[in-house]
Amino acid sequence: MIRDITLGQYYPTNSILHKMDPRVKLVGTLIFIISLFLFDSIYGYLAATVFLAMVIKLSKVPFSFMVKGLKAIMILMLITVVFNLFLTPGETLVSFWKLTITKEGARTAAFMVIRLTYLIIGSSIMTLTTTPNNLTDGMEKLLNPLRVIKVPVHEVAMMMSIALSFIPILLEETDKIMKAQMARGADFESGNLIKKAKSLIPLLVPLFISAFRRANDLAMAMEARCYRGGEGRTKMKPLIYKKRDYMAYGSLVIYLAVIICVNIVLR
Amino acid sequence: MSIIVDHVSYVYSEGNAYESKALNDISFQIEDGEFIGLIGHTGSGKSTLVQHLNGLLRATGGSIYYNGADIYDLDYDMKTLRSKVGLVFQYPEHQLFEVDVFQDVCFGPKNLGLTKAETELSAYTALKQVGIADEYFYQSPFDLSGGEKRKVAIAGVLAMKPEVLILDEPTAGLDPRGRDEILDLIARLREENGMTIILVSHSMEDVAKYVGRIMVMNHGGLVYDDTPKEVFKYYHELEAIGLEAPQTIYIMNQLRAKGLPVRAEALTTEEARDEILRVYHRA
Amino acid sequence: MGILQAKKLVFEYIRRDKDGNVDGVTRAVDEVDLDVERGDFIAILGHNGSGKSTLAKHMNAILYPTEGTVWVDGMDTIDEEKLWEIRQTTGMVFQNPDNQIIGAMVEEDVGFGPENMGVPTKEIWERVDESLKAVGMYEYRHHSPNKLSGGQKQRVAIAGVVAMHPKCIVLDEPTAMLDPSGRKEVIRAVRALNDVEKITVILITHYMEEAVYANKVFVMDEGKIVMKGTPREVFSRVEELEEIRLDVPHATKLAYELQKAGLNLPDGILTAEELVEALCR
Repeated sequence: MIRDITLGQYYPTNSILHKMDPRVKLVGTLIFIISLFLFDSIYGYLAATVFLAMVIKLSKVPFSFMVKGLKAIMILMLITVVFNLFLTPGETLVSFWKLTITKEGARTAAFMVIRLTYLIIGSSIMTLTTTPNNLTDGMEKLLNPLRVIKVPVHEVAMMMSIALSFIPILLEETDKIMKAQMARGADFESGNLIKKAKSLIPLLVPLFISAFRRANDLAMAMEARCYRGGEGRTKMKPLIYKKRDYMAYGSLVIYLAVIICVNIVLR
Repeated sequence: MSIIVDHVSYVYSEGNAYESKALNDISFQIEDGEFIGLIGHTGSGKSTLVQHLNGLLRATGGSIYYNGADIYDLDYDMKTLRSKVGLVFQYPEHQLFEVDVFQDVCFGPKNLGLTKAETELSAYTALKQVGIADEYFYQSPFDLSGGEKRKVAIAGVLAMKPEVLILDEPTAGLDPRGRDEILDLIARLREENGMTIILVSHSMEDVAKYVGRIMVMNHGGLVYDDTPKEVFKYYHELEAIGLEAPQTIYIMNQLRAKGLPVRAEALTTEEARDEILRVYHRA
Repeated sequence: MGILQAKKLVFEYIRRDKDGNVDGVTRAVDEVDLDVERGDFIAILGHNGSGKSTLAKHMNAILYPTEGTVWVDGMDTIDEEKLWEIRQTTGMVFQNPDNQIIGAMVEEDVGFGPENMGVPTKEIWERVDESLKAVGMYEYRHHSPNKLSGGQKQRVAIAGVVAMHPKCIVLDEPTAMLDPSGRKEVIRAVRALNDVEKITVILITHYMEEAVYANKVFVMDEGKIVMKGTPREVFSRVEELEEIRLDVPHATKLAYELQKAGLNLPDGILTAEELVEALCR
């Protein structure tokens, strides 16, 4: 259950996507996500599917691993489908009891499912092929111009990278705490919403305390290793664009062009 | 009255690339009142195994019987099983959450649906059993020392009046004094209450003195299951799977290799001393 | 002058009750004098709360003395301008391997220190490779630290410190959370650093077997150093150690018991081999 969340986990294989500059991947993911919400025709989704399939193939990460990440948003997806299916006005498709499904509703619901699925898979590919450090390095460099207006870009990037790398550790810890409390007869499943919320206290208190303790230890370990912010820091893996990165940017431009064409021409 | 584990296997993430066998066809029986040491290095499957005994994990193959009843029967009451087979986890930090020690120990009995009076009585008895003095009762559990925290965590499980007590690495991270206190406490609980106790550990040295039976795990399988003296005869083999027999076993075996006719199976310093003296006095 | 020196070091902290009122003052370290020579392997023993970790945290300016002075390679630790130089001189490895790993890949974690120090990229790589080799973790350089065993994680943490080219490494109970094989791995790596790289090592532990390899042992109790000397000298004082509830190595304990029973054995037996030899003579 808890182990199923793949977002924010790195999957080491030696693919071309892994070697790519994180800035390309960040920009690419952003373009892909925006494109999902741009078009409204089957051709557009076809283009997105082809693009996504190519990226999945290139990443060499098992597809089943990405799909696992979807389980976590299943409920969100169901709610969206239900809302779109029954609440969109238009031409009636089926009608029973007080509910009607419209043609438009079915269409929007289907598109919404595809959008959400693609969104999650698209962004998981980025995190699966990029180490958190690499990712935040990319973000730091992309957002570097903001330092002019006194945005602490390095600090924010460092915080994000640490948060990401602590996700698996804290998930494991949650699992252990749940078991320890279940061994004392705690019940996290039954009861109404209020009872359920109350039953989370024995889980959340130890989790928070442990998270604070870890944060404290980590801060001390970082200081002991001479960490003092971004000033005067060098990079072990400085980001330098290579030929493949320019090619990737090229592919992104082509994808963008296709999307725009589809949207204008094949309406 | 016993626990029977019958051909139990457990596979993590069955059916995908991350599939791994955590337990591999394990069978054994535990009688009432036994004191067992379950030994294995980190990742040998010992923690996974004990989590099966109180139903926290469900075997992917095989069956487990508690007092004759199959715990995987549809109408079997898991909650009662968890109170009868008490499991204390490695880090007390994973279970302490209440504002004071006393209320924290009340958590277990309260979950069993006992009345307020019964709950408080069980909590009080349990805290007394582990030797926590009254003045600590209304302190925050987070302010206690490592050893005291462990005692409170043990009391938290004892308050549910279990018949079997399983302790997962109860001495990890403690200093020698804390370690001795906890081990003595466990031995005393067994003597006073006649509980069945399973002590999970990676230290042979810790358990050798106390337990009557040792089960050794490696790669999810049960490799040895016998009295400490019998198990430690395989001290070479134990070393190969990342475990160590008590130091005295090494000393005695080296003495034998040099031609001193001592018996090799001394478990404690006292036994080793008496054995060496016996041979010396005869010579 | 030694690499690490403390003179009349006192560290006190203020205890507060639930409402934040001052409850009293605890003296965690009490007038400790210390002199560590270059290349020493020092073990500091003591049980939890004896002040050994507090003392360790003074050695790279994580804590500052309440009274007295600590010098690291001649630098007074309260000199703020020297702070980073001091932390570079004495590296520190902590108890919990999970809470000191920063990188998502072994090599990135080891590179963290040199990055902070502003070492040029090419040299960072050289340092990372060489320190991973020194602790025997080079083959794991592309692994995720989360998937490693406790002993391996701790060796990565040690490599992370070694890559900063310190003159001295302080290890604060690095083996407390490990199993026997993990403990052996770490101690082997630590000994290699001292023997091969000639780095001064200060090992804080409550496992007596680990202290046997040191050339000097300090025993702490209630914030004071109560015993010091070679392992042989310290461990032959079995009764005193037992009084403060510390273990002695098994062979030493057995030799002591045999001596008490009237057997004629030499003092200061540390290992099983030594005991066996003495008994068979």
